Amino acid sequence: MIAVRGVSKSYGRFGRRVQALTGVDLAVARGETLGLIGPNGAGKTTLLTCLLGFLRPDAGSIAVDGLAPDDLAVRARTGYLPERLGFDRELPGRAFLKHHWRLAGGDPALADAETERAADRVGLDREALKRPLRGYSRGMLQRIGLAQALLRDPDLLFLDEPASGTDPRGVALVRERILEAKARGATIVLNSHQLPEVERVCDRIVFIDQGRLTKSETLKGASATRRRGVIRVDAGRLVEAAAALSTEGLAADAEPEGWLRFPLASDDEMVRAIRAIVLSGVAVYEARVSAELEELFEKNA
Amino acid sequence: MSEMVRRFVRQKFGSGGLVAALAVLALLEVLGLVSRGADRGLGMANWAILVVAAGSVSRDVSSGALQMILSRPIRRTEYLFGRYFGILAAYALFLVVTWLLTLLVAAVMPAGTRPAAADLSAGTLAVATGSAFLSGALQASILLFFSTFLPGIADLLGLLLVYLVLNLPQMASAPWLRNAAERARENMLPAVEWNEVLRGHGVLGAATGRWVFALTVYLAMAAVIFSRRELPYGQE
Repeated sequence: MIAVRGVSKSYGRFGRRVQALTGVDLAVARGETLGLIGPNGAGKTTLLTCLLGFLRPDAGSIAVDGLAPDDLAVRARTGYLPERLGFDRELPGRAFLKHHWRLAGGDPALADAETERAADRVGLDREALKRPLRGYSRGMLQRIGLAQALLRDPDLLFLDEPASGTDPRGVALVRERILEAKARGATIVLNSHQLPEVERVCDRIVFIDQGRLTKSETLKGASATRRRGVIRVDAGRLVEAAAALSTEGLAADAEPEGWLRFPLASDDEMVRAIRAIVLSGVAVYEARVSAELEELFEKNA
Repeated sequence: MSEMVRRFVRQKFGSGGLVAALAVLALLEVLGLVSRGADRGLGMANWAILVVAAGSVSRDVSSGALQMILSRPIRRTEYLFGRYFGILAAYALFLVVTWLLTLLVAAVMPAGTRPAAADLSAGTLAVATGSAFLSGALQASILLFFSTFLPGIADLLGLLLVYLVLNLPQMASAPWLRNAAERARENMLPAVEWNEVLRGHGVLGAATGRWVFALTVYLAMAAVIFSRRELPYGQE
């Protein structure tokens, strides 16, 4: 659906150019949720801005269903949430949503009902909708920004740090809305530093560093390329637990806080690992299968 | 397009600072008009168009609002001309309020307190207001043009530069330079006697034609530049 071929992009003038992207190749399938991860300044936002058609690549091409990303037919199906919502500060939340509803081609007669529905979906009450955006906290701005991105249920979503600055309830709401969009078949590109959230919602992640796409990992389904077993035990009995795992042929990294992390080939291996530890008489406090994106981040950053 | 116009007007009149600035200009205008009459035109309107039109596109670019708008199925030219017509609508509102205020003040002023020569008839005021609107329309097109590629309110500097570049050479001693500058000024900043044109004299005159041409060129250049412009946002 989204095809990125050999995209390079640089900024600056008069010999002071910064290479933001170099030869990026990427394909995002219809209905896929893709996470862009990488350190600050890696080129994630530049890539997202190119995908939206606001920046033109110096080399290479980007197509969305064979169309240019700034084609109006693509725009009609697009929802976009920028990292920082910088819209008219004096505008009340309701007017902001209604404005975007109309811009998105929504029926003006439904504007009131749809804006309220959109606000409800991100947990913004009616009183908040009456207030101008300048009175919104960072978290509220993110919520209303997400609400506008989701207006008319777009099937292409570009989200730049959607949960940034939100409280735990906001983080959960953002996750629920992304999963909801995903369930109805939307294609989502998510740029976020909140790695646990990325792991929860994304089918695949690509790691970008210094403008290059350095790694791609499938997180979901049978073809998942990155699976780690993570088990927490009593920190005082870490050695015993690690020994129990080694009897099952599992080499774990042990952390002083009681964490054991090990590569995992299948769910069956996880069952064997937990059983081995429990049978050795060590209590298992917590166990999960994870892509451990933080670990990936540390290794690649 | 109407959504863009509506947003512009709401942006301008939703901001307390801008409304206060326009209110001060309107009051000064009214005071000027009642003391000297409307036949000499509106003076403060030149400042009002600057207040209304400055940074009309560039501020949307820097805040990221433009990127949000253009992620919708909106053509860039639709946005751009929406801004232009929004400027005109906001400016027209300022002029109409000024016109009504002047009529009101003239009506309530005690006899003898107004200079006898001050013509404040509704017709003369309407012509003066129309003249100010048409002059402002050209200035707005120049500001819009600069705002498509200059940051913040640097479009005001761009407008100032245009005036300087086209007017300074007229003080030069070389006749050819004076003539060239005069030709350029006539075409790029055509001075039209709108008071006369609005009374039906020289509607199809050369000056009016040059005004239409200049306005079209500024708007066309703004559209070309804006259509090709990249819109970075949150670059790392």
